[in-house]
Amino acid sequence: MNEVADIFIFLGRFHPLIVHLPIGFIMFAFLLELLSKWKNLKELRAAIPFALIFSFLSAVVACTLGYMLSMTGEYDGPMLDGHFWFGIATTIITLVAWLISIEKIKINALQGFKANISTLTLLVVLISITGHYGGNLTHGSEYLTEYAPFGEKPKEKVKPKSIEEVAMFEHIVLPILEEKCTSCHNPSKKKGGLALHDMESILKGGKEGLAVAPGDVENSELIHRVTMNPHDKGFMPPEGKTPLTEEEIKLISFWIASNKTDFNFKLAESPNKDEVLKIALAYLHLEGGAADKMPTVQPVDSLYIGELIGKGFTIRELVYNANLFDVVLPENTAKTSEEAQKLLEDLSKIKNNILWLSLEKNNLTDQHLTTLASFNNLRQLKLNKNNISNNGVKSLQSLPNLKALGLYGTAVDDECLTTLSAFKKLEKVYLWQTKVSPEKIKTFRSKNPKPALVAGINN
Amino acid sequence: MCNDLENSKFRSNNRDLQQIEKQIDRRHFLKKTSLGLGALALGNLLGAEKMWAAGNQEKMTEKILETYNKNRLGLPHHLPKAKRVIYLFQSGGPSQMDMFDYKPKLSDMFGKELPDSVIGGTRLTGMSGSQSTLPIAPSTFKFKQYGESRAWVSEVMPYTAEIVDDLCFIKGMQTDQINHTPAITFMQTGHQLPGRPSIGSWLSYGLGSDNQNLPTFITLVSKNGKGQPLNANLWGNGFLPTEHQGVQFRSGKDPVLYLTDPENYDGKDRRKMLDYLSHLNDLQTDSYGDPEIQARMAQYEMAFKMQTSVPEVTDISDEPEHIFEMYGKDSRNAGTYAANCLMARKLLEKGVKFVQLYHQGWDQHNYCPGGVKNNCRKTDQPTAALIKDLKQRGMLEDTLVVWGGEFGRTVYSQGQLTKTNYGRDHHPAAFTMWMAGAGVKPGFSFGETDDFSYNVVKDPVHVHDFHATLLHLFGVDHERLTFKHQGRRYRLTDVHGHVVKDLLT
Repeated sequence: MNEVADIFIFLGRFHPLIVHLPIGFIMFAFLLELLSKWKNLKELRAAIPFALIFSFLSAVVACTLGYMLSMTGEYDGPMLDGHFWFGIATTIITLVAWLISIEKIKINALQGFKANISTLTLLVVLISITGHYGGNLTHGSEYLTEYAPFGEKPKEKVKPKSIEEVAMFEHIVLPILEEKCTSCHNPSKKKGGLALHDMESILKGGKEGLAVAPGDVENSELIHRVTMNPHDKGFMPPEGKTPLTEEEIKLISFWIASNKTDFNFKLAESPNKDEVLKIALAYLHLEGGAADKMPTVQPVDSLYIGELIGKGFTIRELVYNANLFDVVLPENTAKTSEEAQKLLEDLSKIKNNILWLSLEKNNLTDQHLTTLASFNNLRQLKLNKNNISNNGVKSLQSLPNLKALGLYGTAVDDECLTTLSAFKKLEKVYLWQTKVSPEKIKTFRSKNPKPALVAGINN
Repeated sequence: MCNDLENSKFRSNNRDLQQIEKQIDRRHFLKKTSLGLGALALGNLLGAEKMWAAGNQEKMTEKILETYNKNRLGLPHHLPKAKRVIYLFQSGGPSQMDMFDYKPKLSDMFGKELPDSVIGGTRLTGMSGSQSTLPIAPSTFKFKQYGESRAWVSEVMPYTAEIVDDLCFIKGMQTDQINHTPAITFMQTGHQLPGRPSIGSWLSYGLGSDNQNLPTFITLVSKNGKGQPLNANLWGNGFLPTEHQGVQFRSGKDPVLYLTDPENYDGKDRRKMLDYLSHLNDLQTDSYGDPEIQARMAQYEMAFKMQTSVPEVTDISDEPEHIFEMYGKDSRNAGTYAANCLMARKLLEKGVKFVQLYHQGWDQHNYCPGGVKNNCRKTDQPTAALIKDLKQRGMLEDTLVVWGGEFGRTVYSQGQLTKTNYGRDHHPAAFTMWMAGAGVKPGFSFGETDDFSYNVVKDPVHVHDFHATLLHLFGVDHERLTFKHQGRRYRLTDVHGHVVKDLLT
């Protein structure tokens, strides 16, 4: 394709603006004609020829500009042909309609048909068709009917349920492109000669060369365009549209980098999958993604929270209005084991709402921990400096979400390590100033990648 | 007497005071009448609501309570990782290539002119910009790799070398400012000119306090600090309500000035005095409506509580010997960096949200090797001890530690270069910081500088990005924590900043 002079493209882009002038004038003429007939307002008729000549002249300009726009090659296919010919037809008929309205031509055969109203009706039909083609070119052919109340809904895409099913292109890359790119890069509207709606077109690239260079992120025009300075002329998506997020760019880059032969590879089979695994999981809303999914819980009566605060707890909401709390019982609030038991029972009324809990140095014993065993949403639990032992820790094994457990300054010993390896999600355990021996910690570490044990300075 | 106060409507019965109350100047008249009309209308609306709720006393109490345990700004925006932060500010601009940013290729380039292509037209300070030559000064220190993360650390930081697997290095830090005061102010408040709230003030304003007896934001400055001065506006509240300013704890007999009772006063009727004072101040709030009066009242109350809480928390006599040993012998000498590190840990344990340490003296324009060595001797061991101590207590789980200065230093020598000595000038385009603890990747290094530690070639992190990331760790979206002042909404990150997600776990 020959290069098109910038001035043509510049002018061509005024087509969608100018094109509304003939539409308006034609509709206006049509309305005047109807009113003059039905309400018998004859004087209105005098305006019709003016409306029609203006609509003809503006239609000629619109056609010229439209042709210039089509020269860019961004639009293609039968849709463009239809729009082209119907546009020209509309223009010619407008001229005819004008000539009829000023009675320069009389078509005898149409004598009985009321020439004015029939040509005008024809024109309205013609601009509707032309307009529809034009709209499809600009917005894509599904734009109009996508949210129509009747008719077939586009099939919901099957979402992968587990990480094993995730196909990098189908489940991640294509949906991103469909959300952010294909409104301008589709089969009927190929901006820059590029369409991104399926694998074949993506690999074909556009006028600027390869959109995706297999295995080579640096030379992939697509990545170049979305990562350049947003103020640059070539930045994509253009101003006013939502740019790609960092995560989306990473995912697409990963797909390109991993692409040597097989473009439909599954994420789980990629040797470098760890680079993007978290982001991908978060993008697909699958478990284990970067964003911690928060449990949904019943709201708590704020009066009750007030009561707990009155009893000595410090309670802070972790996320506004999520009803999830960080609860601290300041050291030595419970002076005796009985007091501790009472406080824990009070606290257990909001047990599902607690994510972080610190009960440091509050005269807790093993038996208290059985109460804690039902605090299902706990992620962080600090039991430091209480007189608790292995048996107590054992009763916490049922906590499904516990990630960090503070046991420093407690009475746990080597036996506790066996208990710890049975925790499901536990990542860190603090064992400073306990009876757990450094040697056992060493052996534990060599055998268990998780949980990580943190002991004293030298262990 | 106290009961009388609560039951009867309190009026000032002193004629002078009444006189003052009657005086309303033009500004207050305008404020009260313009705002007053709106307040009247609002009062009606609220009154109506009260009437609805009148039959349901419980509901009203609930409303009051809700405001008590719900954050009034709608924070945090997302699940936080950090609950507390300790910021070890190394004032003066530590020399990154003598400490962490190892540049082996420089050793072959001793004394050679720094190429213009590297300088690339960046501005130099007036102190070295007029030098006839800019000779490359490779570090005189030896570097080794440590830990599983194989992080490079220079020989002057043997203690920090032990904890590199807990640190998250940011090698590509960048700032806009080239001189101390604007650069420190920029680092601490997000703007180079004084007057904006500091990071700690923003967090205090946004998230409130986690404890009743100590300020949310406390500052400790190493004593006998030489070099560039530190101004109180670095921990100031700017335009935020005054109770959010950082409170400086000093070394010596009075950690907080004017907290002890004056001589010959036993303090027994202090409570009564404060109650009476707060009634007087209530009157003033009613007539002027200035929130600063409430801030003042809150601070009186805080000071009263601190009369007992501060001596308690600053008492280090119950710390065991091995802890002092870990922090180094300076830790017994109140006011030193080491003692401040230990104090910081104690404050964090008591629920203080933001502890800001300052250590001056990192401005090595000349005698750089000696200066860096000297500073490291004072700070290396306590810094590492703090990390270890927080870790073994399980506090590193939800405490963020930040180490860094206001900018870096130049690869070329300021003044004369010899085999054993050189000076280094300010360098804002590349420097190193590290973070550790809550929510940041341990044993991780992010960003790279070129062979001269002059330009960032990979993953730059701007001061605004650092601020955004810090707030993010506290569950705060930096674009949504704002304060309206003089007709404009302000943020810590102004109109900039991106959360550096690569640093996060």
